[in-house]
Amino acid sequence: MIWSIAWKNVWRNRKRSLIVITAVLLGTTAGVFTSGLMKGWVEQRLRSAVYTEQGHLKIYNPEFLNNEEINNIIPQSSNIEEYLQNDKRIKAFSHRVKLMSMASTSRGNTALMLQGIDVEKEKQVSDLYKFILPNAGSYFADGGSYPIIISDKTAEQLRIKNYTMKAETFDSLRNAGIPASVSEKLKIIENERFNTENLFKKRLSELLSHKEVKKYGAEILKAAKHYRLNSKVVFTFTDKSDELISQAFKVCGVFKTSNTMFDQMNAYVLQSDLAPIAGLTASEYHETGILLNDGTLLEKVKSDIGNTFPDINVLSWKELAPDAAMTNDYMGMYYYIIMGFILFALAFGIINTMMMSILERTKELGMLMAIGMNKTRVFSMIMLETIFLTLVGAVIGMLLGWLSVVITGHTGLDFSSVGEGFEAMGWAAIVYPEIDASFFFGVTLMVVATGILSSILPARKALKLNPVEAIRIDN
Amino acid sequence: MNVIEIKDLVKIYSNNVMEVTAVDNVNLTIEKGEFTAIVGPSGSGKTTLLNMIGGLDQATSGQILVDGVDVSTLNSKQLVDFRLHNIGFVFQSYNLIPVLTASENVSFIMEMQGLDKATIQSRTTEILTEVGLGDRMESRPNQMSGGQQQRVAVARAMASRPKFIIADEPTANLDSKTTEKLLDIMEELNEKENITFLFSTHDQRVVNKARRIIVLEDGKIVKDEKVR
Repeated sequence: MIWSIAWKNVWRNRKRSLIVITAVLLGTTAGVFTSGLMKGWVEQRLRSAVYTEQGHLKIYNPEFLNNEEINNIIPQSSNIEEYLQNDKRIKAFSHRVKLMSMASTSRGNTALMLQGIDVEKEKQVSDLYKFILPNAGSYFADGGSYPIIISDKTAEQLRIKNYTMKAETFDSLRNAGIPASVSEKLKIIENERFNTENLFKKRLSELLSHKEVKKYGAEILKAAKHYRLNSKVVFTFTDKSDELISQAFKVCGVFKTSNTMFDQMNAYVLQSDLAPIAGLTASEYHETGILLNDGTLLEKVKSDIGNTFPDINVLSWKELAPDAAMTNDYMGMYYYIIMGFILFALAFGIINTMMMSILERTKELGMLMAIGMNKTRVFSMIMLETIFLTLVGAVIGMLLGWLSVVITGHTGLDFSSVGEGFEAMGWAAIVYPEIDASFFFGVTLMVVATGILSSILPARKALKLNPVEAIRIDN
Repeated sequence: MNVIEIKDLVKIYSNNVMEVTAVDNVNLTIEKGEFTAIVGPSGSGKTTLLNMIGGLDQATSGQILVDGVDVSTLNSKQLVDFRLHNIGFVFQSYNLIPVLTASENVSFIMEMQGLDKATIQSRTTEILTEVGLGDRMESRPNQMSGGQQQRVAVARAMASRPKFIIADEPTANLDSKTTEKLLDIMEELNEKENITFLFSTHDQRVVNKARRIIVLEDGKIVKDEKVR
């Protein structure tokens, strides 16, 4: 009966309860969605760190970490190869030749870590092949001589990327539903080449209205972007005998991950092309990336390899991408801190509502105490009322929050307009929020705790009532 | 058999300025099945006396024995339990729980007593039928007249089969016709269930129904007579 009375009491002043319930609902929805957004971000960063950039583990010659010299190759390579092949906990591994080099074209130059890879093995360790941009070549599929994969950012630095309104660009704009009036205004820059995005954007803003740029700018940028595939990029580096070597590679593909820093540091060529030029044999390499079947075995596998081969250095992705590791470690707590702040703020509203409710029911509470309702029951009734009041809004809020996470988890949330800053730090500009079921369990416990804590003040006020005086009060 | 025995009961209200003796050396015995009205002008100490008998207020001195138990020796927790199992209350302004139906208002007290569901259900139906509300069991207080609400309050007080019922000005908010009906019902219940009724009132209609009348003035019993 206490439960029933408490539930009915919640609806006694429907309007006031609905206001509090709505506040809790909005707060919980916002909390769940924000947590989902952050989790999506973190998970994307972690996936990128492990499955695109680092793998679970990396093996180095300890000297290579201090000095990225060509001669600091991994020792005992054949023994390590055999060990990795026989360890069932290891899903795949890939050796890489890494040479610090200077890349140049006739229009630009940049420093890059040139990585020589075995394409098929690398595909099993890193999913970088999935990040080749549309209309930007392929991941070593064309079979030309000395192919190279560079990033969008590198293409920009080497001036291999440009923005040009070609005849086919206008066709694709028409197909994308851009009004003819907008295309007409752009005819004036047909076949004019813009070497940077900023220059092209500046010209667009001169030709189109602010509203048109805002509405169609992204589509026009996408259609006008061109990469000069098969362009030659000359790389200069020192070979094993300390001689300065130059070699031209042809751009066969352009990739773009969510980590600009990673992108602008790395370029990929075939190990079979790079090793002979650098004077290395097929079994000489600087780095081995390892992907595990079960990421939770990370530390165990790491120590096993390290103990077996004391001459090498084994680093986990947590050491190689400490930002992602730290965020991963603390983020679980952050979600609850966000919810805690929201519920803490809401608690004041809940307490206020319950205090009002107690004040209005002074006479009734006096009567209940007079006829024999003990303090435990009075406290339980008020506590249950508060929990119900909080939980109703929270349950609906969690449902709405979950729905918003599910929907945006499919569509993604595009922060491209401010995305450069995110991507420079390795965080994706398009986020796909996600959330664990366990989070809802935690939030439910927090909501109940908020209800219980919020009920203490009103309940204390009720328990302090003197039945004789309370009954006489005219509500 | 005595249900209530009051010995040398005194209640003094005091503040820094003055002391007021609300109940002054009252000695009283109430037997089982009595239908007694305590009357007197406002401020005569009726309600204070009833509050002390009902365990809602502490005496300054003296003893109140209910079925041999000295109420003044019980702590607040024991008093709550004592009230729940021994005393029924009927208040001037009904004091029903507005979100509960008539039957829920009645059964609620029995649930607090820990009675089983079947007993609660049959007793609720029985007592609400006895007060003439067998057809209004699912009505909420705001769907009933004042008289009907007070009858639910009487049913609630009776439901727990208390040793006695304290009714503080139960008819003060009712019209004549409703008062007559309510008093008839209470009288009938008193006779049928042999439950002791103790009224505080200045309503002559209640006095006319009472079988014993105790008159209080300035906290003292000035008259105590059995009239029927």
